[in-house]
Amino acid sequence: MLPIAIVAAYSLNVYSLLPGEHGFTLDGWRAFIHSSVYLGLFWKSVKMSLIVSVAVVALAYPLAYYLALSGTKRKYVLLLVLIAPFLTSYLLRVLAWKVILGNEGVLNTFLFWTGLRSHDHPISQLLYSRFAVMLVLAYVWLPFVALPIFVSLESLDRRLLEAATDLGASRWQAFLRVTLPLSLPGVAAGFLFVFIPTLGEFVTPSLVGGTSGYMYGNQIVDLFATGFPDWETGSVLAIFLLGVVTVLTAAFSRFLQGRQVAGT
Amino acid sequence: MDAALSKNAARVLKVFFAFVVVFLYAPILILLIFSFNDSDFPAFPLTGFTLHWYHEFLTNPDLKGALETSAIVAALSSICAVLLGVLASIVLVRRRFLGKAAVSALLLSPLVIPYVVFGVSLLLLFHRLGIPRSMLTVVIGHVVISLPYTILVLVPRLEQIDVSLEEAAYDLGAGPLRTFRSITLPLILPAVVSAFLIAFTTSFDEYAVASFVVGTRTTFPIFLYSALRFPNQLPQVIAVAVVVIVVSLIVVIGAELGRRVVERRLEALES
Amino acid sequence: MEDGRDLFERRLSREDLLKLAAATGGAGLVAGRAGLAEAARAQLAAESGRLQVLDWAGYGNDGGQSMFAAYVKAHPKNKPQFSYMTNEADALAKIHAGAKADLFRPYVGWVKYFATSGLVQPWNPKLITNFKHLNSFMVKAGQYQGKQYGIPDDWGFDAILYRSDKVKPKARSWGLLFDERYKGKIAWYDDITMIQMAGLYLGFKDTWNQTDAQLKKSQNLLKSKKHLVKLFWSSETNLWEAFGSGEVWIAYAWPNDWVQMKKKGLKVVYMKPKEKPLAWVGMFMLLKGSSRPKLAHAYVNAWSSAKSGKWLEDNYGYGHANTLARPSSSDLLRALQLTNPKAVTLPNAYLDRDIPRRALYAKAWEEVKAS
Repeated sequence: MLPIAIVAAYSLNVYSLLPGEHGFTLDGWRAFIHSSVYLGLFWKSVKMSLIVSVAVVALAYPLAYYLALSGTKRKYVLLLVLIAPFLTSYLLRVLAWKVILGNEGVLNTFLFWTGLRSHDHPISQLLYSRFAVMLVLAYVWLPFVALPIFVSLESLDRRLLEAATDLGASRWQAFLRVTLPLSLPGVAAGFLFVFIPTLGEFVTPSLVGGTSGYMYGNQIVDLFATGFPDWETGSVLAIFLLGVVTVLTAAFSRFLQGRQVAGT
Repeated sequence: MDAALSKNAARVLKVFFAFVVVFLYAPILILLIFSFNDSDFPAFPLTGFTLHWYHEFLTNPDLKGALETSAIVAALSSICAVLLGVLASIVLVRRRFLGKAAVSALLLSPLVIPYVVFGVSLLLLFHRLGIPRSMLTVVIGHVVISLPYTILVLVPRLEQIDVSLEEAAYDLGAGPLRTFRSITLPLILPAVVSAFLIAFTTSFDEYAVASFVVGTRTTFPIFLYSALRFPNQLPQVIAVAVVVIVVSLIVVIGAELGRRVVERRLEALES
Repeated sequence: MEDGRDLFERRLSREDLLKLAAATGGAGLVAGRAGLAEAARAQLAAESGRLQVLDWAGYGNDGGQSMFAAYVKAHPKNKPQFSYMTNEADALAKIHAGAKADLFRPYVGWVKYFATSGLVQPWNPKLITNFKHLNSFMVKAGQYQGKQYGIPDDWGFDAILYRSDKVKPKARSWGLLFDERYKGKIAWYDDITMIQMAGLYLGFKDTWNQTDAQLKKSQNLLKSKKHLVKLFWSSETNLWEAFGSGEVWIAYAWPNDWVQMKKKGLKVVYMKPKEKPLAWVGMFMLLKGSSRPKLAHAYVNAWSSAKSGKWLEDNYGYGHANTLARPSSSDLLRALQLTNPKAVTLPNAYLDRDIPRRALYAKAWEEVKAS
């Protein structure tokens, strides 16, 4: 019985997002669609999230591959070591980077100290930039993304690989033709795990993003929390994000189901 | 010949793995170093060793209040999340009903909803219902967020348990509650503990949703966030950061290892 | 002779009577005042608990203790407890969310808004002994429909702070914040005052009441120059961090920021642009549901003393509404034009004021940030 109550609560949740404050109108939506500013910001966030997600998946794959397929004895412990940072405080890890990237932060003062750069020429593009936001987000999500890829690689039937090499394929070909396709569900899951939260990110951009690192999530927060609250526009932006995310998730699960059928 | 990896490839990957681990832990290590540094700003060169910052944060009443609030919220929300999670998991694993896929998708949906959307919708919901924002609203928000994690931990464990054990109990005349208490619960206990810990750490660290629905008391992450934007208390914050990270690392790794050990023992008992 | 003595006696007795009357009157007055003081103290005693103050960062127990030290001394059982506002809109949101504050400190541009919002009640200046020393122009600015809704406290300017060793401005103008030569080294303030400033630069007559067309122009100017800006600061310490470490060389800033950067040893200039700087005055406001109005008055009184004023000027580089407060440094005296009681208004500066179309300004600013 109780789970049904939970489900009811969820649907209420989503319902409340409708910009019903001033009656159900489509004006907010019209303004949004015609406004190049908000959609432009959304695109900017999509681009940043894509870069981060692709980079993270690309980096996480070899890690998961090593853990799952190299036959190392302590793979679960190592996996835990890899994931543990993700389970510590997010804000504090962002703080660590803020401390590192500033003009007089750890990295730059280290360079001064060792004489690699003079005091007058610190590397300023590190902090308060799009680069900073993407670097920090990648850092935060990397551990977590390795997990689904690891799971799908671990359940890989080794005999398939051996069969491929017996038939004359090189390791590389075996990887491309057998391992990679079979691990795609894990990759897809990992990609979603980082892409979706990153799209709505606002904490990291507000701490290390400066003006150029401002993202879609920041705009939503600003419309609700600061300035003169504009709940209508904020709701519109939020629902738009939710819509995109839902479509993406649905598309990916269709894709995954299709793969599973093909794989058997 | 190893079909998956050549010896060279394995070596390269091993180095890469080590590199990444260093990259992951290095910033934490840097925080550790600077928490002992005798200076207002974290920068090289190091100026001297001090325990001053640790002492300062221990006597900071705002900070302690925030820690307390977060602890209470985390405890309450994780207990609820675990209770609901156990119920939901049992229903999902043991019962058959229409629309199971839809329900489980809905229950797990917070995993793929950006927290900003979540925070906003909760804010609007509470506003509509006229519920004032307070610690309670944060607890509710956190229960919803933690629930998927608890379900994800409990369902696999429940699936692993041999149903025949429960059926045997019924045959012997035990009611569902008795069965649960004596058979199911002990077997899933490690997973329950894991779920509780995951829910607790998730709630303790959660900023995004809390920032939307918190009342006048601050939670620890909210305190941290304003400390980060008003960095006149930076060294103290770094000291706190180190403590929290180290403690959570120990708790998480310890709990996970503990869980595996206990579960292996229980599986041995089952067979 | 008896008449004389009679008269004398009568005079004496009249004097006696007068003296007696004076004595009893005086005693009565003293007794009366004592009675009043008792009553007041009893009233204060009825007001219990810690005084809840909603203020900006730096004005509470995180640095501002000297401002209200006298209050703490007199009311040790009702020490202030602080919650923080990042700006007035934030305070408004917190009040709506049920924050239990007794008083807070918005700035002069919001006086009308809050006075008409039903959230605040007017002060009773008679309960504030330092009130008579407060700058009369500023006092007037805190009134609405004849009632004293805001008690002025600190004041200062919005102008431009820049590194004199790195920056050579082409003109003494707001345009320095839009200077293409210093791309990536500029900081703006994250607030709609940027729109007002843009309006000043563009020469609009009433930048607080821009028409749709003017608003669009201001917005476009800001959007077109946004790529030069490294960050929008909303907390001063964030600005100090970035400015102090050399991330930015030019910033939209307050006098205190100039003071702090000088303390760090940087070569900085606080420039008053020819289009005129903006000026602001902090206004203590008393919230309507407060259960501690008398304590609030006492707190404000402590804040309004010349001693507190001097501390504020010496340490935060802001002016104080108490006209008797003088800083130790003559540099500061000159820079803030503290001898000019009308420093915050024309011809010196534009005093911040109510913005009738605030919601539109907010929307325009959000769009600038998003672009």
